[in-house]
Amino acid sequence: MKKIGVFVCHCGRNISSTVNIGEVVEEIKKYPGVAFCTDYKYMCSDPGQDLIKKNIKEKKLDGIVIAACSPSLHELTFRNTAEKAGLNPYLTEIANIREQCSWVHSDTKEATPKAISIIGSIIEKTKLNESLSPVKVKVNPKVLIIGGGIAGIQASLDVANSGHKVILIEKSPSIGGRMAQLSETFPTLDCSQCILTPKMVEVSQNENINLHVYSELEEISGSVGNFKVKIRRKASCIDNSKCTGCGICSEKCPVSVDSEFDEGMGKRKAIYTPFPQAIPNKPVIDKENCTYFLKDGKCGVCQIVCSLNAIDFKQKDEIFEEEVGAVIVATGYELYPMENMIEYGAGKYPDVINGLQFERLLSASGPTQGEVLRPSDNKIPKRIAFISCVGSRDPEHHLPYCSKVCCMYMVKHALLYKEHVPDGEAIVFSIDIRTGGKDYEEFLTRAKEEGNILYIRGKPARIIKQGDDLVVWCINTLTGKQLRVKCDMVVLSMSMVPSSGALDLAKALRIHTNIHGFFSEAHPKLRPVESLVPGFFLAGTAQGPKDIPDTVSQASGAAAKVLTLFSSDEISHSPIIACVNEDLCSGCGICVATCPYDAREMDERKKIVSVNEILCEGCGACISACPSGASQQKNLTDNQIDNMIRVLLHSNAGALERE
Amino acid sequence: MKDKKNLTTEINPEIRDILIEMGAEDIYKCYQCGKCTSVCPWFQVEIYDYPVFKFSLETALGAVASSEDKKELEKEIDLIYRCVGCEACLDQCPHGISTSNILRAARRLLVDFDSYPDTLKSTVQKTHNVGNPFGEHRENRADWAKGLNVPNFKQGMEYLYFPGCLPAYETRNQKVAQATVGILQKCGISFGILGVKETCCGEVIRRIGAENIFKEVTKTNIKEFNNSGVKKVLVTSPHCFTTFKNEYPDFGADFEVLHTTQYFSHLIDTGKLKINKSFNKKVVYHDPCTLARKNNIYDEPRNILKSIPELEFLEVENFNRNLSLCCGAGSGGLWLEWEKEERIVNVRLKQLMDTGADIIAVACPYCLQMFEETLKSMSTDIQVMDVTEILYESI
Repeated sequence: MKKIGVFVCHCGRNISSTVNIGEVVEEIKKYPGVAFCTDYKYMCSDPGQDLIKKNIKEKKLDGIVIAACSPSLHELTFRNTAEKAGLNPYLTEIANIREQCSWVHSDTKEATPKAISIIGSIIEKTKLNESLSPVKVKVNPKVLIIGGGIAGIQASLDVANSGHKVILIEKSPSIGGRMAQLSETFPTLDCSQCILTPKMVEVSQNENINLHVYSELEEISGSVGNFKVKIRRKASCIDNSKCTGCGICSEKCPVSVDSEFDEGMGKRKAIYTPFPQAIPNKPVIDKENCTYFLKDGKCGVCQIVCSLNAIDFKQKDEIFEEEVGAVIVATGYELYPMENMIEYGAGKYPDVINGLQFERLLSASGPTQGEVLRPSDNKIPKRIAFISCVGSRDPEHHLPYCSKVCCMYMVKHALLYKEHVPDGEAIVFSIDIRTGGKDYEEFLTRAKEEGNILYIRGKPARIIKQGDDLVVWCINTLTGKQLRVKCDMVVLSMSMVPSSGALDLAKALRIHTNIHGFFSEAHPKLRPVESLVPGFFLAGTAQGPKDIPDTVSQASGAAAKVLTLFSSDEISHSPIIACVNEDLCSGCGICVATCPYDAREMDERKKIVSVNEILCEGCGACISACPSGASQQKNLTDNQIDNMIRVLLHSNAGALERE
Repeated sequence: MKDKKNLTTEINPEIRDILIEMGAEDIYKCYQCGKCTSVCPWFQVEIYDYPVFKFSLETALGAVASSEDKKELEKEIDLIYRCVGCEACLDQCPHGISTSNILRAARRLLVDFDSYPDTLKSTVQKTHNVGNPFGEHRENRADWAKGLNVPNFKQGMEYLYFPGCLPAYETRNQKVAQATVGILQKCGISFGILGVKETCCGEVIRRIGAENIFKEVTKTNIKEFNNSGVKKVLVTSPHCFTTFKNEYPDFGADFEVLHTTQYFSHLIDTGKLKINKSFNKKVVYHDPCTLARKNNIYDEPRNILKSIPELEFLEVENFNRNLSLCCGAGSGGLWLEWEKEERIVNVRLKQLMDTGADIIAVACPYCLQMFEETLKSMSTDIQVMDVTEILYESI
């Protein structure tokens, strides 16, 4: 039988004012298996800890119970104390007689026997505890970052600059993401590309960053510290070792299609780089529109004009493997489809456009070289209506959430429009203006005053085309008066939705999303950049709508989390996890389906399930789901729990033994 | 003494709680965006501002029909009875608030206090007394079917055809009932009618707010249907349709309901109804609110019209399907009189006529009646026909 030592803490008067400590010590001393029991005013103080260490050694204790405050406060403290005295830390347990006893009672007659019961139950647990040691696993200090927008760029630079390797993959032909499409950024109105492109160049020049554009994740296996990934590099049909990015191929290509980068406001060729500052500055061939691929080798103009012989129509997709220790998901956002807004004639009227399209019209490098010209007839629009919450905050038909950035970019749009077209009129239709952010409300105030921007409180119901005009039907909800506002152009602030590939990626990575497809963080407040599955981190709008400052902060946060992981060669993991009694396991697989961490693996040959000790978080879900009792939590087995309950159901300690 | 109107409205929880109990449970969802107000048909009646968006908040404050000033109260009653129940607001509301339900709660309160428009009082009384809102004699209810050889419904027949009050009594609408019977007979469908035993479904009196009388009528009808062994009911009026389908089950009804357009569209698709003649006219279809927005029946009437040879099918641009505009007859609107420039029907007719159509096709007796009456005072060649009538002419 184990020799258990029990140390009862007064916690000043926190415990001793309600619990009769003397009586507790006397009672516990009589408890079967208890070799030693004493009390002290502050057990967590240095003298208190010395008292514990001294008695572990002198009395040769092989299990101790500290009757004190909640284990969330000092379990670690006392386990370290025990370890210093040569006792396995997992043979130390806490009996919580403060939060669960003295603090919630005022009557000593009630509190004292309850404290004795609580201590008794923990003694029973400790008797069956085993020595355990933390699970250790080697960490491969290399990170995979998925998505080359501002979030992926920032995270890459932060990790790379600390001396660790980064593999950055981006599915489009260039990094830069949505931020590269923006004209100016709120609230300071600095040019988006001017602040972004230096960072893009830094990515391409950083020796620690291995950049793969036109590439997507194909497969992933392994767990935190040691993932194996397969990456598909789509055939760009360009030999990048020969190509200098001179651009003659794009210039001569006869096929012109809507540019994704310009959101359909401008054109691009079938062989193209999405924008002049693209990184890398190498074109790709869009096979779906290229005449060579559509008409069996007819055309080939690019091949003829390329003096460097860099065009390779026969190039195939390439799949390569990498090993990494962590993954950052930074896949960004898309806009909710405009076609869903039938009442606004969106998708039908060319002059009803979305916010990103307007960014391209404002951009100096955009299809109109920064002139605000409406798509239908290239006239300068003299009155623009900006409509907020389009698709957002509409649980009945569209999306219930607020997209967070629209209020602010509408202020910016209206102000920039007034700068471009000083005699133009900007009218913003909004229901609530959300300017929570540093200097945001001031920006709104400035825009309204300096730009003479008219804000109308109301959500328009219809946009009707009358001749050349678009008429916005609305009411001013502050007066109840009807409004029919004739405009030349309408800009809809469409809600943010996750990138189209996000759900498939979530499935491949086996991490969670919310019902809208945004990746779920481990805790909404305290763990905002980690996913629930160890080794996966989140950055930017992949996790939820947010603006550039928030995205950059989150990206740096994710990078810091990755660096914490990489700060030691090994990671250790609590050993209080599930284990399987192979003799009892029937291989039913219920635990595999129940485990939220994917830590259960079925050996199909033996029909027995095992636990991946690295992935298991010790939540216990599989143990309660296991129909045969084969799954047990280490140091919290069914036997231990039974014994604890039996003690608690009897009014005094020792009852178990006397039974 | 200060003018009462200028005093701050006190919150009146009693009225609020009664209204919530009576069906205004959506009020707290409103975020005052005003979308409801600019899709409301009254928005298109240019001289009149109808503040739909205020009703949720006013109800939450208990400030509905609560004025002690007689003139103010009259104005409020006018507002409450302007709603035609077309549910264009519900269709667009981001939070799915049914303002027509909120107003129906207010109407129930007004009916309880007998403070509602006199014309509507008479509608309610007539329905209660003689089973139709027009005060027509019960024994004349089957006159429309005279000489058509239409049997009374007997156990074992497949369908009960229920024309409803307007097609039973009103001369123009009777032709729709007759055309319906013609098509059914031609296809050899087993059906019968209740004849003089048919009673109003009660839709309009419920919309007016006379809940108790509605319940009485409902129970009588359900008893009659059950006694006759009715399993499937075919209706001409979308108003009967929605009441039988969506509201009668709450009172224990258990029968299937089909609108004639659904049934005829199905007969055409399955080849049981052959179209032999062409109809060489331009036809614009008007979506009846109760059939379309309330019951999602958009395609069946269109399918019927589009399967007729040479018929040129037109839509009202911007105002079709769920964005269609009401004729103004719903929720008691048929019995209320507004100044000529304040009528929804005139706005809708203009939209329909602007398409250049020869014929306005409808699928609701209320729309037919409303358009026919209004067109009489206009110099135009455009005609109104029920989809059923056009179909009957083509077979």
